[in-house]
Amino acid sequence: MIGDKVSVKLFAKQSLEAPLESYIPVFHQWIRDAKLNELLIDVADYTHVPRGIGVLLVGHGSDVAIDQGEDRPGLLFCRKRALPAGADLLTDALRRAVQAAELLDADPAVHGPKAFGKGEILIRFPDRLHVQNDEASFERARPLVLRALSEALPGATYTLRREGEAREPLTIRATA
Amino acid sequence: MTSWKEKLAGTVREDWDKEIDVFQTQIELKKQGKIEDRVFAETRLRRGAYGQRYDNGQRHDGFETKKLAFPTTHMKGPETFFDAPGMMRIKIPFGRLSSHQLEVQCDLAEEYSDQILHVTTRQDIQLHFIHLDDTPDLMRRLAASGITTREACGNSVRNVTACQYAGVCHTETFDVTPYADAIMYFLLGHDDTMDFGRKFKIAFSGCHDQPCGLTNFHDLGATAVIKDGQRGFRVVVGGGLGAVPHAAPVYAEFVPEAELFPLAQAICRVFGKLGEKANRSRARIKFLVKKLGIAEFIRIVEEERKNLRPDPRWTAFLSDLHHTDETPGKPGSARPASGSAEYLAWAKHNVRPQKQDGYAVVLVKLPLGDFTPLQGRGLADIARDYGAGSVRLTADQNVIIRWVPGGDVPAVYARLAALGLAEPGAETISDITSCPGTDTCKLGISSSRGLAGELRRHLSVVGTVPAAAEDLHIKCSGCFNSCGQHHVADLGFLGVSRNVGGRRVPHFQFVVGGEWTNNAGNYGLPIATVPSKRVPEVVDAMTKAFAAGRQGQEKFREWIERIGKREVKKLVDPFTDVPPYDVDPSYYSDWGDPREYTIGDIGVGECAGEVVSFVEMGLSAAERELFEAQVALDEKQAQRAYDLGFRAMLNAARALAREFNPNVADEREEIVAEFKKHLFDTQLFFDKFVGPKFAHFFLRAHEAGKGDGSADAARTMIEEGALFVEASHACYQKMLALRAPAAGAPAAGAPAAE
Repeated sequence: MIGDKVSVKLFAKQSLEAPLESYIPVFHQWIRDAKLNELLIDVADYTHVPRGIGVLLVGHGSDVAIDQGEDRPGLLFCRKRALPAGADLLTDALRRAVQAAELLDADPAVHGPKAFGKGEILIRFPDRLHVQNDEASFERARPLVLRALSEALPGATYTLRREGEAREPLTIRATA
Repeated sequence: MTSWKEKLAGTVREDWDKEIDVFQTQIELKKQGKIEDRVFAETRLRRGAYGQRYDNGQRHDGFETKKLAFPTTHMKGPETFFDAPGMMRIKIPFGRLSSHQLEVQCDLAEEYSDQILHVTTRQDIQLHFIHLDDTPDLMRRLAASGITTREACGNSVRNVTACQYAGVCHTETFDVTPYADAIMYFLLGHDDTMDFGRKFKIAFSGCHDQPCGLTNFHDLGATAVIKDGQRGFRVVVGGGLGAVPHAAPVYAEFVPEAELFPLAQAICRVFGKLGEKANRSRARIKFLVKKLGIAEFIRIVEEERKNLRPDPRWTAFLSDLHHTDETPGKPGSARPASGSAEYLAWAKHNVRPQKQDGYAVVLVKLPLGDFTPLQGRGLADIARDYGAGSVRLTADQNVIIRWVPGGDVPAVYARLAALGLAEPGAETISDITSCPGTDTCKLGISSSRGLAGELRRHLSVVGTVPAAAEDLHIKCSGCFNSCGQHHVADLGFLGVSRNVGGRRVPHFQFVVGGEWTNNAGNYGLPIATVPSKRVPEVVDAMTKAFAAGRQGQEKFREWIERIGKREVKKLVDPFTDVPPYDVDPSYYSDWGDPREYTIGDIGVGECAGEVVSFVEMGLSAAERELFEAQVALDEKQAQRAYDLGFRAMLNAARALAREFNPNVADEREEIVAEFKKHLFDTQLFFDKFVGPKFAHFFLRAHEAGKGDGSADAARTMIEEGALFVEASHACYQKMLALRAPAAGAPAAGAPAAE
């Protein structure tokens, strides 16, 4: 059991060409156009927070953000409400993160193609009731993570490394 | 572990654990349609679970208003969808958080919120975009760390605030921390605070001159005074900001420390009895004080004071006024005078000496009051490693770390810089306060946070601000409720809208002349209304004019008074025009929000809570206990079911009896006696058709004692309990009807003593 919540960050290959604020109208447009096939509610502007979540598209079941954590921009997908039974939490999150990245790639208002890479992915499970940031949890999660990566991002082989302190959510960096 | 309740078993105070269980049950009952929207709204508000913008299920996307298709049609209040994200307000008494408590909040922000913690102007933490289903677990985890969210919202006594420098301040008369701490828990859930028509805010200050406590705009403000060697407080009552700001009149120049709590209790009781209930916009105590006049208000409170049942808690805390003292982790040392240019620029405004030699307070300037969980954990570590293992939140929406040895200040700076939290200029013009505004608040008219963010950027550019204007304060409110406290800023901005050529344009009223010092000693007045997009130009014009025209060390407010509002208006007038839409459409959207501006998203605010009387809340509690009794019976816990059934009757009886005697304690014998006196002997409780039958259920159950532990006895108790609670509802309606002609305004929740 790795809980009901997960976040996946696809890092930008280099610093983003467009200023962070330019994602705000893009996400508003996504709400208008119902782009992500789920209920999208609002856009939150956290561009003023250093190393924060940047620009956040708030949905009911999940959020998408242009995250500034680690001082490295990236596309962050967060699953926050449980998926229907049978759906794989991480596979779904990885696919949706890639889908959001592709939507941004196709939007000339923000940047050119393939801004976000798949060679390095930060995966976190923010559910301390079910999973801790320790080796035991990591070993339990490892096969699930590798399987999800191979299903959502076929063709690449990833190595996994656990990161962070015990008080943080289980954090795994996947590197192709 | 399958649940947080299981995981935290034994770590949560028993009464808080029970309260959270009750709230969880209420959520389930709401989903089953067994609690009325209005009652549930006030119930969750009193647990700190607030609504958020768009929770009425619609949002304007810049072109049209669209429905938000939430997964269920359940509601969590009038016009408030259950599945809509909401805000959780977490009361932090006098803003103090231990490092562990701060870490817990970071965990919660990561797991349930949007990974941002927000410090409010009343020293609370707010987490946004939270699903109501997550709130019981969130509350349990807070409770396990010693924090309750009870009465963080709703018509209740809100967070008790105090100056953040209490205990380490050079100018304080004495440390007000233990008083703020004790009164917070004394009034928490107190019977005399359950019948308010609006919220009630208390603040403490250690001295008169400084701004930190801001007592003058609180419902009850207490400033430390020593008279003839005895500790006490100068008490003011009936202050407030909002649409109609009131400076609190003085209740007494000196109230001895032992008399402060009974006085506060008597004031609360009078507010509950006589305060406005029907007209929400005039229901704060400031209106009652104004209506009665301070002399008459004092007379009524003093009369009520005589009626209070003595309570040992009034003075028990005085036996140990050091229980809130902080212990520094390291010995004090001298602060080095030199360092890098960046360090010195930061230290200029972000470090203050404490009254204790060798220690300093470090001010952490948070942008718009926001920080991340990673930053929060870093702050917790710094407080552990260098301070006293705690931080305090400030009304300026910052965090301070106290008890830092002077010699360690450069190391603390380095640690803050590594977290991205070493921004200089704390409590200066670029340290702007703002309420949530249209970002998340249902009442927001203009984007106060958007404006504050833009001004931060603008004023942080070197050379923008003249040196003379560096220490001015800017505060922004998104609507007339004034949560951004703009009335007491040098430069205050209040969100409004204007119609230009048939389109709405976001504007801000420009308010000048407020006084932050002297505990917010004076309120400013609006002199012009400016389009949002031109506010930065207004700030530039004002700061430059002040720098050029200031005489000596004249303060901004003094300069305004000297040159006159007419001259000030002349400075602002060039920035009031709005170009036509086809010339510059940017004026027609707000800061940080590209949608064409509308006021269509404004919803019904929950600042006021729902006016639900003590009786209604008591009857709702009785119904919930009957439900729990049924669950217990299903689970073969017959004796527990029996006890819960009787408890439901007791709750209902007490709720009614308190309408006649507000001193009725939560004690079985007393409740029964008061019920007999006021409701049975008078036949008020009697049913039109069956007379005393339902009252007899209660009185017989009382005489029967514990029952025989059988399922049959429990079932009978539940059935009779249900009928008794129904009869209590009917009785309450009868009481309201009897009261209506005398009061002249029949309204649920109207005070009994009018």
